[in-house]
Amino acid sequence: MNLLTQHRLHDLYDESWNAYGQFTYISSWKLPFYAPYTNTNGSVNSLVPDAERSFTGTFTLFFGLRLWRGGEAYLAPEVIAERPLSGLHGIGSAIQNFELQKQGSETPQIYRSRFYLRQTIGIGGSRVEKTSDPLQLATVVDARRLVVTAGNFTVLDVFDRNNVTWDPRQSFLNMAFMTHAAWDFAADARGYSWGAAVEAYWDDWALRVGRMAPPLYPNVLQLDFQIDKHYGDELELEHDHELLGQPGAVRILAYRNQEVTGRFDEAIAAYQADPTHKNAAAAPPPPVGYGSGNFTAPDVYWVRRLNTKVGVGINLEQYVAPNIGVFLRGMYSDGQTEVDAFDPADRSFTYGAVGKGSLWHRPFDLAGLGYGMAWISKEHADYLRMGGVDGFIGDGGLRQAPETIIELFYSVNFLKAIWLTADYQRMWNPGFNADRGPVDIVSGRVHAEF
Amino acid sequence: MPSSEAHRAVAFALVLLSTSTFGTPSEAQQSPQVPEGFALERFYPSAPGGGWFVMDALETRGGPGGAMALNVGYARNPLRVTDGSQHVAVVTDQAFADFGVAATYDRWRLSLNLSMPLTTQGPSTTTVGAYEFHGPSVDLGSNPDTLSDARIGVDGRLLGDADTRFRLGASAQLFAPKGTRNVDGAVRHQDYDTDGTFRAMLRALAAGDVSRFTYAAQLGVHIRPLDDSPVPGSPEGSELLFGAAAGAKMPIRPGSKLNVIVGPEAYGATAFRSFLATTRTALEALLTGRLEDTADTGPQLRLKLGAGAGISQHFGAPEWRLVLAIEVFDHIRTARQEPSAVTVSSPGP
Repeated sequence: MNLLTQHRLHDLYDESWNAYGQFTYISSWKLPFYAPYTNTNGSVNSLVPDAERSFTGTFTLFFGLRLWRGGEAYLAPEVIAERPLSGLHGIGSAIQNFELQKQGSETPQIYRSRFYLRQTIGIGGSRVEKTSDPLQLATVVDARRLVVTAGNFTVLDVFDRNNVTWDPRQSFLNMAFMTHAAWDFAADARGYSWGAAVEAYWDDWALRVGRMAPPLYPNVLQLDFQIDKHYGDELELEHDHELLGQPGAVRILAYRNQEVTGRFDEAIAAYQADPTHKNAAAAPPPPVGYGSGNFTAPDVYWVRRLNTKVGVGINLEQYVAPNIGVFLRGMYSDGQTEVDAFDPADRSFTYGAVGKGSLWHRPFDLAGLGYGMAWISKEHADYLRMGGVDGFIGDGGLRQAPETIIELFYSVNFLKAIWLTADYQRMWNPGFNADRGPVDIVSGRVHAEF
Repeated sequence: MPSSEAHRAVAFALVLLSTSTFGTPSEAQQSPQVPEGFALERFYPSAPGGGWFVMDALETRGGPGGAMALNVGYARNPLRVTDGSQHVAVVTDQAFADFGVAATYDRWRLSLNLSMPLTTQGPSTTTVGAYEFHGPSVDLGSNPDTLSDARIGVDGRLLGDADTRFRLGASAQLFAPKGTRNVDGAVRHQDYDTDGTFRAMLRALAAGDVSRFTYAAQLGVHIRPLDDSPVPGSPEGSELLFGAAAGAKMPIRPGSKLNVIVGPEAYGATAFRSFLATTRTALEALLTGRLEDTADTGPQLRLKLGAGAGISQHFGAPEWRLVLAIEVFDHIRTARQEPSAVTVSSPGP
């Protein structure tokens, strides 16, 4: 769009339409690591200790169209090809590449990632300029306004934004830094869903509320559109501020899911009451069940019913210099039920810093260092210790410990639109299991925007 | 004879008796055939900036520019099949959204259309003659992010300027297949959203403006490799495309750059293999109305509404259809640009 504007072909400040695109290729190499046992007793969810390579390639187009005053439509078709580590098993919260999707394949798949309407209703206050970006038409809006978003999008388009960690395609690779690992937000197997969100902006404050459709079964692509009965609700309060002249923000996010899932304690009780029939190996194959072959373990499939899952978290961002920002996220979820849509973590905590290369005269370069930890509840640990599995983890045994990740990356910019990234990650206790690891992963990323 | 051998002999005799008395292998093969799915939709929205719903006004002009369009629609009973004695709906409800984007320059346009099924529904099993149709069950729950065949097109105005009495153009479009004809490779139900092969459309386009009267027409070929004949309602290979539209252009008030265009638009297709045969010809008509600002004083806009019915309710033409669309487009004004379309809305000839 900048190019069109330079040639006076486009108004970059009051857009009736825009179009952007991106390409990202990420390749990760996991080095061999120590593991005294892997997939014991028929479990299927261990991270394989051998060396492995994983990759993702995505290509996305972003279209925005102004429909009427304050009304906008957005569409984002996307193509992805991927190969996860160990079939996307064995890592609880610190999946090394945020692009990885459940049920993905090496054969490129084209799909519609977003297709939604947004209506902005001005209430007054000062004027705020919205710059042209993917999924954002350039315009000027009131600082006090209502924004309604409805359709097909990811809840991350509206909630838990963070201007320091920003777009994960330019920032940290690890999924732990994309959002709260313990936030089991309603989404299909790709991370998107249908629903609606309402945002109320009042100068430095913002209040957001949303409801999204959950998956039909935990971790599948199909969605459950009985949104009056089964849903994921979000509530977020945000305050933007300046500290020592630098911008920052505080966000408090609470969620409540009402979905058909299995509780860990009930799965254990069901197994103990009827180990012959209510074991993991007797559960249906994927995508309904998890495919474990363990006859001596409980399985959440047998106790799936309408359950509630809740959590609350905090998200802080603060620039400490014009081009250096720090961030912190923490969330506590109840941890009583299986992962329905995101990842198995029940509590998570991350912090880190991201800086631009202005100090060494490369203002479009990026560097970042992040640290994250995630935990599971006692009931969750008991279930895994007995050999149970969920959508991602379950080694057949467990010595409980927090899954911990440290990530360091540097992105070199070329021609203002291409970034090459070198990335190193070290993970301790993969799958919340102190018996395994640590795991070293090195990655490279090519990212282009146009 | 040992008793086990006696039992085998009796069983063999019973098998022979049963096959000769109650059925033969050839009769067993006469169990209903289950046809595969195909790209059912016959409403091909015009390229972004095209003006009409299906026809093209051939008004592309000026320097480099772009256009975007969003069409949403619903069709009732778009696939009804007959064996001569009974008429049965295989697909009863079909709703879609089609998003298009185009780059334009002078009289040329390069476009991409992405169609998204919102719902496609039909009875789970319908038997017509020797065929057992398994109706679609597509909704946003089972297919939350599906895109249908993508359509890439290039078209241009070969004769006439943007507002002349007669304009002649040509269009070529390529359909890139998405997905397979059978859901999960099994013949349980069909989505009716793709032929599973590349297809193409080559069309001659005509349009013009005579005072307040405006018209457009098309004649072309849909190059379609898929031939499922004699399955009722199914594609029979390549097709002839035809259509015409006409309307009156009225300013909403004297001197306004906003115009309302109201008029009918009819279009259809017939298989060359069964040329103009009743059950192999689709024809439907829409009564369309659109509010448009095509003046060269700023970004241009069209809001469109159309409702109509199938005149020949075969071969993909629905019982009735409702469509809504919005187009925005703009281009760089050039020194040698044609006169603005706003002149049409000025009072008097």
